[in-house]
Amino acid sequence: MKKKNNPWAIFWAVLAMLYFFVPMLGTFIFSLRMKRGVLSFLAYQSVLSDANFLRSFRYSATMGVVTVIVSVVLLLPSVYWIYIKAPKMKPVMEIISILPFVIPVIVLVFGLIRTFGRPPFQLTLSSFGTDVLIAAGYVIISMPYMYRAIDVGMRSMDVRTLTEAAQNLGSNWFQVLTLVILPNLRIAILSGALICFATVMGELILGDFLVRPALGSYMAGVGRSKAYEPAALAIISYGLTWLCLGLIQYFSRGRSQQQLTGR
Amino acid sequence: MAQLELIHISKSFNEMTAVQDFNLAVEAGEFISFLGPSGCGKTTTLRMVAGFEIPTSGVIQLDGMDLTPLPPNRRNMGMVFQSYALFPNMTAAQNVGYGLRVAGKPRVEIEQRVIEMLDLIQMHDFAERYPNQLSGGQQQRLALARALAIKPRVLLLDEPLSALDAKIRLELRQEIRRIQRQLGITTIYVTHDQEEALSLSDRIVIMRRGVIEQVGTPQQIYNFPASDFVAEFVGHINLLPVEVVQADAGVVRLGSQVVRAGQFGHLNGRPVRLAVRPEELKAGSVEGANNLTGMIESVTYLGAIVRIRVDVDGQLVSLDMFNERSLEIPVVGQPFHVNFPVEACWLTNGVKN
Amino acid sequence: MIAGQNKRIHGKGQAGWKTWIGLLPFFLFITFFLVMPSLTLFSGAFQDAEGRFTLANFSFLENTFALKSYLTSIWVSLTTSLIGGIFGFFVAYATTSSRAPRWMSNILSTFSGLAANFGGVPLAFAFIATLGRTGFITALLKGVCFNGADGAAICPFNPYDHGFNLYSAAGLILAYTYFQFPLMVLTITPALEGLKKEWSEASANLGSNSAQYWRYVALPVLLPSLLGATILLFGNAFGAYATAQALTGGSIYLVTIMIGQQIRGDVLGNPNEGYALAFGMVIIMSLTIVLYILLQRKTARWLKL
Repeated sequence: MKKKNNPWAIFWAVLAMLYFFVPMLGTFIFSLRMKRGVLSFLAYQSVLSDANFLRSFRYSATMGVVTVIVSVVLLLPSVYWIYIKAPKMKPVMEIISILPFVIPVIVLVFGLIRTFGRPPFQLTLSSFGTDVLIAAGYVIISMPYMYRAIDVGMRSMDVRTLTEAAQNLGSNWFQVLTLVILPNLRIAILSGALICFATVMGELILGDFLVRPALGSYMAGVGRSKAYEPAALAIISYGLTWLCLGLIQYFSRGRSQQQLTGR
Repeated sequence: MAQLELIHISKSFNEMTAVQDFNLAVEAGEFISFLGPSGCGKTTTLRMVAGFEIPTSGVIQLDGMDLTPLPPNRRNMGMVFQSYALFPNMTAAQNVGYGLRVAGKPRVEIEQRVIEMLDLIQMHDFAERYPNQLSGGQQQRLALARALAIKPRVLLLDEPLSALDAKIRLELRQEIRRIQRQLGITTIYVTHDQEEALSLSDRIVIMRRGVIEQVGTPQQIYNFPASDFVAEFVGHINLLPVEVVQADAGVVRLGSQVVRAGQFGHLNGRPVRLAVRPEELKAGSVEGANNLTGMIESVTYLGAIVRIRVDVDGQLVSLDMFNERSLEIPVVGQPFHVNFPVEACWLTNGVKN
Repeated sequence: MIAGQNKRIHGKGQAGWKTWIGLLPFFLFITFFLVMPSLTLFSGAFQDAEGRFTLANFSFLENTFALKSYLTSIWVSLTTSLIGGIFGFFVAYATTSSRAPRWMSNILSTFSGLAANFGGVPLAFAFIATLGRTGFITALLKGVCFNGADGAAICPFNPYDHGFNLYSAAGLILAYTYFQFPLMVLTITPALEGLKKEWSEASANLGSNSAQYWRYVALPVLLPSLLGATILLFGNAFGAYATAQALTGGSIYLVTIMIGQQIRGDVLGNPNEGYALAFGMVIIMSLTIVLYILLQRKTARWLKL
């Protein structure tokens, strides 16, 4: 059945594409203009050879991986438990998962600093303690996305029957979780992990206020002092988000799209 | 003059032909069913009448006026969808009143008509319910009332019962017939369920691959199928390969046993088969009828009837016996005699009569 | 096998501590890193420097400076969620049911996923590079001649001489829209796809035109989703900090920026007033959610049994 395209639809579609592409294209061309009169990748060279960039990139990437691991270890058994043992707790879980939305990041970091920067905790005294605090913050921020990814994954398979079948064949709880549930949730966890990771990579507030060398703070610093490098960083950041989304799309072909980060 | 006429209607999607040269004249007040397997073009034809599809060629006339250029919302045809298609955000009463509301009818008139319609489907107690608070059967009755509220010139039903449970289906089927008779409204009913078509219709249109196979009353369709397809699609039938013994007298041989057929055409060349409905066959031997002898191959107990398959010289012949409390169910492997009247069977060579 | 069944019966029957134990690590984590920090702020909001109960911290509501930051934040969030919401709705409308060419729809849905997640500092950079004082588009426009209102040619055309300023609330709205409307596309598309073709057909069959269909059927059916999406957009903008900070260097006073400055150096001169400011944000977000739930209950009565 061939439908005629709706002219209004085309109008809105074109307008949206302009909104997407003009800043992107503008930024890209701007980033090439560091050297007067010619187009060059000088700004990119300048960024990529900056030791601080590499350091903060490595720091954020490490934190990203830590966040992913903690999130999975924390959420997977909990969500599984809710499906198997405590379905009545599901509404509570849903409410908790929207809490980070109600409590903006800036408020969260404020509370974290005031709670753990003082006795008896005094986590902010050492850099390791601060990192623990930051990682915890990242886990909280990305929790809604990780929770949703796991929840969607569990809903799409019959967790209870699978568990009963595995128990029927003689496996214990740990074996059920690692041998049956986890492999079936691979894709869901992977897309949740990429969302977590991208969130951490783009995050400014936690790293900035807890004064750790995160990528976001580095970028903010560059923005204050340089002209062309920020544009190059924006393009790199585009590329990184693009990569994460592309990977999610690749691993979960045909599934619905998900939103990555909060701001 | 017929009320609704479809004249040389064809429809193709891209390269695919969905309906080809469809001709039909529907009388006022008539109940017509389009019956056929899925993909036969019956729904497409209905949707062309409703205006959701535009025929590639041909004309649809209502009371002698050409409908083809009219958009769906100006055709005044009430349609009932398989999925009910009730508006979820409106109560039962609002759904029924929708057509009059968008037509700008005064509130009092709408209210009156809604009450009248809800009474017709015996759902006045459910006026303030939302569709998701109603059962499937109730929803479909409501959809029927909604379609009828605008006093349509033709009622179109697109497999309205196929999403419902068997029991509700039967109830609603009778209700549709009652309401249709009461209002005397011209109705086209699309279905793939032969029982629905046989029990409801004044006439049935059998379709296959976009083409009409036969148009006729239920009895005509069932007893005098125009093709092997119709014979096999409607009800059960034995189609047994036979050898022609005497072409001009309809005498054939089934295995080694001779049978005479009551109806036969030109049996030119092609392989010939003997057609007879299972319920025409009786147990035992009768003088003057066709008699066959064989071995019981299987017995299936279906409640009201018992279906027996008899191996007659390598051919399986089905016969249906009515259940009785005193019925002795035949035993598999035993010899069995069956008979059927000469007039009950016919010969076919696969060519449409 | 029997043991497994017993376990299930136990799990279902006893609602006590056994159903909680599996969730203990998770709840502990939430308590530590979400509930406790929030409580610190909330209790701080109602205490004075000596720890006594007071409502004085909320006197910032009389302080035009702090109050203004709330108003600015709400104004920016409301505007971008409405602009982004309406624009995003039309874009989602265009990309569903093959109304626009398929390749356009594909590009748009992919980029919506990208742009909805593209925010923070890099977004500010992109807009500065494009529409800033020396940005790409600004530079382009400077080379273009325009006919002014009096017919005289204005050459070069510098948008900054004509009231445009990226480093302002207007610029912020422009930048936020970049992630707001794609987020709308992502959230509303499933709802649009949930509109059954049969509804529009049934509506047309009953004599309605397309405007009547949208007014009486499609929009009411979509309303709960539209409300939900708009609330999501509002919260998304209300809590945003990085884009505003990087774009305007903190010269625009959003609540988030104010709180940031308070964390850094107690600009309010009273630490507990900062808590009250943060508490206010949470209250506004909670009110938004409550409002949403109430509205949804009202508009979606038909959804529930």
